[in-house]
Amino acid sequence: MYKINSQSVPSTIIVILALCAVLAGGLALVGGLDIHKTKKSAAEEQAKTQGEQPVANCYESRAIYAAVTRVENAVPQYGYPNIKCSKTTGGVLWYGDPFDGTIPMGEMPEVNDGTHGDFANAVVRPREPHLTYFNMGPNGCVTCHNGKTVPFPKDKKPRLIAMHKDIVEDSIQLKHGRGAMWCLDCHSATNRNKLIDRQGNEISFNQPQRLCGTCHGEVYIDWRAGIHGKRIGTWATGGKKRWWVCTECHNPHTVQINRFNQIKPEPAPPPPRGMKNADYERVGHGVH
Amino acid sequence: MSEKIIEIHIETDDVNESRRDFLKNVGIAGAATLVASPVSVEASADSANPDAETTVAELYQGHFVLMSDKDKKKAIERLEKRYTAKYGKNTTVSDAPPLEGVLFGYALDISKCIGCRRCVHACVQENNQSRDNPVIQWIQVMKIPKGNFSFSADKLNKGYPESSKVGDYGIQVGGNAYTPVGGLSTEEAQSYYSQDEMVPDKNYFYVPVQCQQCEKPPCVKACPVRATFRDPNGVVVIDYNWCIGCRMCQLACPYGARRFNWGEPNLPPEEMNPKTHYFGNRPRMRGVMEKCTFCVQRTREGRNPACLEACPVGARKFGNLLDPESDVRKILAAKKVFRFKEEMSTYPKFFYYIG
Amino acid sequence: MGKILSFAMDFGSHAIKGGPKYKAWLLFLLFFILVGSYTAYRQLTEGLILVGATDQIPMELFFGNFIFTAHVAAAAILVVAPGYFYHRKDIKELAVIGEIIAMCFVATGITFILFHMGRPDKLWHMLPGIGLPNFPNSMLVYDTIVLNVYLFLNFAGVSYILYKKYVGEFDTKALARWFTPVIYLAIVWGPLIHICTAFVLSSNARMGEWATAVLPFGFLAMAGASGPSLVILLFLLIRKNTKLQINDSVIDLMATIIGWSLGIIMLVFAAEYFTALYSNTEHAASLNYSMFGHNGLNMYTPWFWGTVGSIVCCFVAILIPKIRKSYDLWLPVVCVVVFLAILVEKPMMLVFPAFSPSPHGEYTEYHPTLIEFFNVLFTWAIGFITLTLMVKGAVGILTGEVKYHKPAASE
Repeated sequence: MYKINSQSVPSTIIVILALCAVLAGGLALVGGLDIHKTKKSAAEEQAKTQGEQPVANCYESRAIYAAVTRVENAVPQYGYPNIKCSKTTGGVLWYGDPFDGTIPMGEMPEVNDGTHGDFANAVVRPREPHLTYFNMGPNGCVTCHNGKTVPFPKDKKPRLIAMHKDIVEDSIQLKHGRGAMWCLDCHSATNRNKLIDRQGNEISFNQPQRLCGTCHGEVYIDWRAGIHGKRIGTWATGGKKRWWVCTECHNPHTVQINRFNQIKPEPAPPPPRGMKNADYERVGHGVH
Repeated sequence: MSEKIIEIHIETDDVNESRRDFLKNVGIAGAATLVASPVSVEASADSANPDAETTVAELYQGHFVLMSDKDKKKAIERLEKRYTAKYGKNTTVSDAPPLEGVLFGYALDISKCIGCRRCVHACVQENNQSRDNPVIQWIQVMKIPKGNFSFSADKLNKGYPESSKVGDYGIQVGGNAYTPVGGLSTEEAQSYYSQDEMVPDKNYFYVPVQCQQCEKPPCVKACPVRATFRDPNGVVVIDYNWCIGCRMCQLACPYGARRFNWGEPNLPPEEMNPKTHYFGNRPRMRGVMEKCTFCVQRTREGRNPACLEACPVGARKFGNLLDPESDVRKILAAKKVFRFKEEMSTYPKFFYYIG
Repeated sequence: MGKILSFAMDFGSHAIKGGPKYKAWLLFLLFFILVGSYTAYRQLTEGLILVGATDQIPMELFFGNFIFTAHVAAAAILVVAPGYFYHRKDIKELAVIGEIIAMCFVATGITFILFHMGRPDKLWHMLPGIGLPNFPNSMLVYDTIVLNVYLFLNFAGVSYILYKKYVGEFDTKALARWFTPVIYLAIVWGPLIHICTAFVLSSNARMGEWATAVLPFGFLAMAGASGPSLVILLFLLIRKNTKLQINDSVIDLMATIIGWSLGIIMLVFAAEYFTALYSNTEHAASLNYSMFGHNGLNMYTPWFWGTVGSIVCCFVAILIPKIRKSYDLWLPVVCVVVFLAILVEKPMMLVFPAFSPSPHGEYTEYHPTLIEFFNVLFTWAIGFITLTLMVKGAVGILTGEVKYHKPAASE
């Protein structure tokens, strides 16, 4: 019903949409954190009561989709903030409290492959707060995708969609699965706040690994073993660790182009004293 | 606040029994310092020059490992007092001993590293390096080109010797692929790539280098006063107070991992990390060597190094090499692992792998 | 006791006596010592940040100069050895001057090392007993031992000979029982300070350019060239300005040693460069850098070719009898060039370029600072003023101008 040729959409609309989404994402995140947070640090509470409105200007692995907010004095013993961010790029550099804003990972299925997942003390930062597209409030995607405002699709046939162009630029050309996949292969048609696997089981956005792992088995095994992916906290086996789930690093909608999206690096070290620059190292490469 | 520390270190294996004990102690010690420190701040404010007696005492201070427990305590107190006064923060200097039954190892996935240099700056945040004049960074990220040759049929027979007379016998040097290709050769490495370009660049790969914590460290062998040594956890640490600043270790290190405090370090008080370790991130003085310690102040308490926590792609893995279930051991078993500059026979415990 | 006191007084007063040229020379050196005192104070209080060294090139001009002083110091045995091993009468008398050179330049070298240290206040950590020397492993500990023992041996030799000559008891046939072993030990010890210094460098597997077995041989050959150059200059000056007799045969012997040494230096260079450049592996990277530069960085190139050129030219020159015998003009010129060439070779060919490429493949140029430069001059000035005063006093004793007068002095 929203059949619009993507070629004809003026680029300005896309830009405005994207900007709105960024803004909305940021604002909604602030709101969303309040609802979904299970562990509130005392310092954060204090900051709230003093009327300080923390603004998310840092990100972990993925810009926008892994935004975090610096909270001062989150670890009062040492006067640490929860995170320290780069002044130049906003990347999170340092964790005062590695378990800030985390929840238990939840149940993970057993796998009889010899990898004993170290999930006893696994925590994750919940992904569901990031579902606040256009600042829809506590109900998330279901606010619109409720079967009435936006009718449920009748089948899983791929078709062009006008919405969410900032997430998926061209749904027919989804940059995942090389043409073999479409939105409803992962997103539940009737409950947009959930993912869905091929058996029709609904999966929380907080546990995308249970969906991704169904196809990417090899990576999934590595991830369970602690070889693939990021984990912080304690180093000891069985210790408390914060796990990064798939979508905290990878954008499932563009993963075919970039496994990891390009970001800006932190500043280079200054050239050794006495050297004006380090141009010599770029000679002969033909680039830059 | 001691709860906070304990909470971070939930231990399951029996190896960690003793550690839990000392973790508690550290927590209590931290609390004690917090209570006691206002007094010490006052005391130091009273005397005209709080540094004077400390300086004199430090002049005669022996090698930390050989000091009696009483002297160690005194030395630690001296340092805490000095740092607290200097940086205006309640600084704790831990002397937590090495862990039992632990050999630290590190693994880094060069197929994942994107060269964002977050580890470099995380390390600076954690380890109280001098921020300016001299700029000290313990990690250096090399950007190495992949093999991009300019292939062309014209070059097939171009090279040395050029004479057509010997052309029939083939050239000895030359051809299409007669240019260096990255590998782990540092020949084409760039360490100063700009912060304005996006990473990762498809034509390059990135290799961060820091102290490799060798099992046969040439730096330790070269040190004339045994100021640097390999601790029982396999980490090469430095007693900054014992270092004489001769820089022989810097000459000996094949990884360029050691950094020298050429001048008085510049560490802004607001950026100072008040949780320190004697062999780790306590603020250094002028004229001594420093280097990566795998964040000894964190790892001896069970937490991961700062560079690992900063890595946005999870390319860095840290763990106990004696524990077959640790991440690092699993990587050693499952992946293609190699050491940097293996021909130096230094036997690093820092492994590069292709994940 | 009175004898020793009057020895010191007479020695000192004779040493500072001299014509206007001599006084001017001393004032010239004093000027650098004065300026250097300020720069040395700055470096001691503010640290090595004031010199040009970086983490990429951690060794500064001091280190290069230290190696050179070790060359000159070790070469002093080339004056002592012919006298004591071959019983050459013409040179045996002059052995003490050789030992003075050794003493002064070892002391200068140790001063350079003090400048090189990040924490000179903690040097006691190297002392056995109160410190913790890394004895069997660290080459720097060996080097420290060897240098200090050499300093002591030469000091003992010099003071014994001069004192005995002063009081008129020196008799070559009836030397003290301990003296002959000391002299012979000093002769054997000379090469040791070299070999150890070379090992301090070549023990670093990381430094590709230094990891060569010919390094000690190169060092010995350079000592054989630079030391006698200084000796010839000194002997020519002494001969011209004092009553001390120095035969042409002594000068010729020194010139011959320089010639042979330059030949060996060339052979060592050739062997090194061939081995590195034929296969042209990564071990040749530093050499390529100093020979041809790297991507626009070519600070060391002129120094490299200049030094190699001067060494070759001097070798050819010193083979020509006319030049070798031209004591007033050409021989001193050749000696000065050899001395300077080897002095320059140390930092600009041996030390600085060896650090490029760094372990991360960085190429760096070394830019010495003014303060560093003045500290180097300060140390050299101290070395030369000590040398001048010691030699002046020694010559006075050798010529008999300074003598012990028993009754007149005590009254």
